[in-house]
Amino acid sequence: MEFVSPEGLRLDGRRPTEMRQLRAEIGNVAKADGSAVFEMGNTKVIAAVYGPREVQNKSQQMSDQALVRCEYSMANFSTGDRMRKPKGDRRSTEISLVIRQTMEACILTHLMPRSQIDIFVQVLQADGGTRSACINAATLALQDAGIPMRDIVTSCSAGYLNSTPLLDLNYVEDSAGGPDVTVGILPTLDKVTLLQMDAKLPTNTFEDVMQLAIEGCKAVANYIREVRKFLLIAVDIVGLCLVIKFRITFVF
Amino acid sequence: MVGLSEGEQEFIKGGIAQDLRSDGRKRYTYRPIYVETGVIPQANGSARVRMGSTDVIASVKAELGRPSAMQPDKGKVAIFVDCSPTAEPTFEGRGGEELSAELSSALQHCLLGGKSGAGAGIDLSSLVVVEGKVCWDLYIDGLVISSDGNLLDALGAAIKAALSNTGIPSVHVAAEAASDEQPEVDISDEEFLQFDTSGVPVITTLTKVGKHYIVDATLEEESQMSSAVSISINRQGHICGMIKRGGVGLDPSVILDMISVANFVSRQLMDKLDSEIAAADADEDES
Amino acid sequence: MAAKPSTTTTAKATYSPIDPTRKTRPPIFSGSDVDWLRPDSRGFHQCRPAFFRTGAVNSASGSAYAEFGNTKVIVSVFGPRESKKAMMYSNIGRLNCNVSYTTFATPIRGQGSDHKDFSSMLHKALEGAIILETFPKTTVDVFALVLESGGSIRFLVKQVDELDTLWFAVGDLPVVISCASVALADAGIMMYDLVASVSVSCLGKNLLIDPVLEEESYQDGSLMIACMPSRYEVTQLTVTGEWSTPHFNEAMQLCLDASAKLGKIMRSCLKEAASDEQE
Repeated sequence: MEFVSPEGLRLDGRRPTEMRQLRAEIGNVAKADGSAVFEMGNTKVIAAVYGPREVQNKSQQMSDQALVRCEYSMANFSTGDRMRKPKGDRRSTEISLVIRQTMEACILTHLMPRSQIDIFVQVLQADGGTRSACINAATLALQDAGIPMRDIVTSCSAGYLNSTPLLDLNYVEDSAGGPDVTVGILPTLDKVTLLQMDAKLPTNTFEDVMQLAIEGCKAVANYIREVRKFLLIAVDIVGLCLVIKFRITFVF
Repeated sequence: MVGLSEGEQEFIKGGIAQDLRSDGRKRYTYRPIYVETGVIPQANGSARVRMGSTDVIASVKAELGRPSAMQPDKGKVAIFVDCSPTAEPTFEGRGGEELSAELSSALQHCLLGGKSGAGAGIDLSSLVVVEGKVCWDLYIDGLVISSDGNLLDALGAAIKAALSNTGIPSVHVAAEAASDEQPEVDISDEEFLQFDTSGVPVITTLTKVGKHYIVDATLEEESQMSSAVSISINRQGHICGMIKRGGVGLDPSVILDMISVANFVSRQLMDKLDSEIAAADADEDES
Repeated sequence: MAAKPSTTTTAKATYSPIDPTRKTRPPIFSGSDVDWLRPDSRGFHQCRPAFFRTGAVNSASGSAYAEFGNTKVIVSVFGPRESKKAMMYSNIGRLNCNVSYTTFATPIRGQGSDHKDFSSMLHKALEGAIILETFPKTTVDVFALVLESGGSIRFLVKQVDELDTLWFAVGDLPVVISCASVALADAGIMMYDLVASVSVSCLGKNLLIDPVLEEESYQDGSLMIACMPSRYEVTQLTVTGEWSTPHFNEAMQLCLDASAKLGKIMRSCLKEAASDEQE
């Protein structure tokens, strides 16, 4: 199957190094301590963070650091074919673990000993790259919850089809069976925290693909920073309004 | 889990007794309702409904299947609800299953009507393509994203909105097949049949706190309930289903009074919902 | 409504279960027949004969056996016993209900096992009647076993896929609820009152009390009430199908009257058991 047309366009009309449209929203779940929706094209995930709070299962409590937990679940309607899978199948357990390890690496867990942080990610729509979208959503939700972190983690995937490195694979490209490299980075520290690949790839090509995925991560990081900046401005405006209101009452 | 001090509990109860609830509402006032349709492009129809900080998504997927031997002239509908752990950490793992099962069965009671099909919100015989051989199976999935009480009403509203947004592809039966063979069908990509949702009832849950009942209870108010009754009522003012959600016993006269209150309240909710759905559909067409 | 004779029906010489293979069933009701008799030759407002007996299971704190026509149920009650350690502290008692079917309860073998829907319904019907404050930190377990199902279409349809489980079966649940409350009384659990439960089916304009399997499959709507007869309070109520308010009132009144009579039968069964013990 042809995934890149002779004109250099992909099935959904993107160029090989083009990302899908990103969209993020913060604070969707009112009752959670932090929450975010993250969209990469048609992939849409929602993340909610509860904590830091008391450890529910006392035997898991750690005296020197916080316990980070994660659960990944997919909505019944998230995929094209409707499926009804029992919770906790192998795929979601594996992704839960990946997200937990990635987030644990950037949370300053030693600042919150004897506490627990829960990250719940729910996939509303799956169109490839759910892993990356979940990590990005979790980052935003953790920021929203005000949990201290070394740096934000951003993630993006890249693949290699028709001898072309492709950024941010969608479902059709993902299920073509080619290599799929998922990378998670700490953009400010410029470090890689997550690297996953299935299928084989020559070493020099791998470097290109990985470099492309890292570029994608950086683009996501820029977007997340924008979202945060916007939010901070909004908070500032609210603060400013309060100050002005206070001044006015003070004057009268 | 709601942890409330005794003072807070008294405050909620006292407020309800004086017809001024903690968020400033009256007993029969709903929180603002927001409806968004077409949120899941992969489904045949979908909607997201927010009532205060309760947030639910419903999706409708249609698949071709075989009618059951018992009722060859009817399609099939199934309703499933899932509670996402994002709504409440206790829903993690299997924690949400009990509530999910309860909500699913309550919705089936309230929306699917009697066995002969009387009072059903969805006309099952309209789902038949070839009698006894091919019919549409509707899978209605609800997902609770954020929970702040009154989940059943919100899910009922979301399902109503999702159904009004649903397009069932029109089907052409290719050739007359032999009586024992499965006929070949051709599903159209362009032509869609809209669902008539005027018969779909709305669900109103009346939560009894002290001597009074309230609609659209928040999680805090639900924790103070003595009992709750969910009543589904259609446009004609007929009861299409009812289920009591535990709690202490109720005098039969109280139940009859609840029905008349629900009748009155549901009419407002239905009008509000219809206008929200129309607005949401218009929004979707524009974008 | 005719009084229910409290005699056993076990003495019946021949007994034929409903044939699941029979495809075309006779029409149950046609609009014009008013003086029509039901498949088991009851009147519209006549319940099946009810029979209760306590002490069916020796190892339980309390138990009861109930038989309504073909429906046969055993309920055993264990406790109050200490709640599991993992449970959070609770200043009122916990009620744990479970309804299960034997493999031979239904026309098609082995369709039963656990019935989650019924379990939660049973829980809701009983929780309002039990004085849970009298046994804090402890749990009462109510296990109901349906030996033979007499009025549930659910198992007649071979479960091909998840869509076929839709039909809500009313038939067995009222028997289970009533029997469970007798078992709780036998176990000496404090209750405000016994819970008697009755269902009606609506066919056209007519109301049929205590419907059996065949009637249920043709019904337009159903109503099930669990109530405490002496207190005149409803602990559980489920309605399906379309009902106008006056019609609903009529059905509810019918159910309440029937459950008052059922309550008397349950009470007399308990009295009998108590007087037997004294002797």
